[in-house]
Amino acid sequence: MRLYLVRHGKAEFGPEEADRKLSARGHADVEAMARHLAAQGLHVERVLHSTLTRARQTAEILRTALAPRVHLEELAGIEPWGDVHDFAQAVEGWDQDTLVCGHEPFMGQAAALLMVGDPHARLVEVKTGTVMALERPHAGSHAGPNWQLRWMLTPRMVRGPKEGEDA
Amino acid sequence: MKLYLVQHADAVSKDNHPLRPLSPKGLKDATRMATFLGGAEIQVDQIVHSGKLRAEETANALSEGVWRGQAPEVFDGIYPNDATDHLFNTALTAGGDLMVVGHMPFMGRMAARCLTGSEDGLTVAFEPGAVLCLERRDETWTLDWFVKPSMLAED
Repeated sequence: MRLYLVRHGKAEFGPEEADRKLSARGHADVEAMARHLAAQGLHVERVLHSTLTRARQTAEILRTALAPRVHLEELAGIEPWGDVHDFAQAVEGWDQDTLVCGHEPFMGQAAALLMVGDPHARLVEVKTGTVMALERPHAGSHAGPNWQLRWMLTPRMVRGPKEGEDA
Repeated sequence: MKLYLVQHADAVSKDNHPLRPLSPKGLKDATRMATFLGGAEIQVDQIVHSGKLRAEETANALSEGVWRGQAPEVFDGIYPNDATDHLFNTALTAGGDLMVVGHMPFMGRMAARCLTGSEDGLTVAFEPGAVLCLERRDETWTLDWFVKPSMLAED
């Protein structure tokens, strides 16, 4: 089973706690990512998002490109304040290829928990609009119980850097 | 500092050619990767390879996209089953961004060592021609991105 962990695209400027929308740049980044992944023939069977607007908007753009027949599903508990252990436990019960749009630091911690067994391993800081593809090893695999990293793409990779942006 | 770990692209079998150059697919994949990385304006300061022909040819193809220096050079101690110490210690003190073209299982063990401290602490699903970007900040390596030729189908 494959799990696609996505951090929402860049959001509008505003208070940290506010339920912000995607910015124009955030829209463009996620749309470029969606086009790139669709061109690779990527399909997912479920598209989930947190209760926050920027994650739902990100999920909707990706759903339209990658899984036009499925409906978005809201998943509470993957907001920045969510519990990654609860999420990882839920994921272990899934068997369909699933894309989940959420936030930092939650997504980076979830990735670290699934891949190395420790959410605080400081494995990755997920930038806005980034997609990480993880795969659960087959039962009995001698690679152990941990998920593998299949690929990881940032918006900068698929649409090129913008002026003034750090490398 | 960024460290790019690359598995050489698809090569012909030993039966076809004892030196195992890149296959037509491997050359195409490496060229396409070079174009993709160039489009993202990835630039590295140094490219090295293991000295095996398939790694050298991959390094040469990638250098077209990401590097404007001299020809890629041989780096010792990155054969498939070498210890990761030489590269690991070099990367810790490197002053610029380094791209290293080598082999599995070495690259998988090196990636896991950087990211977790243990050579079997993490499984990165490398494939021929794949490029993993790690970044060192605040004394820690973190994962930036991981791209494979199979993710770069033509539109």
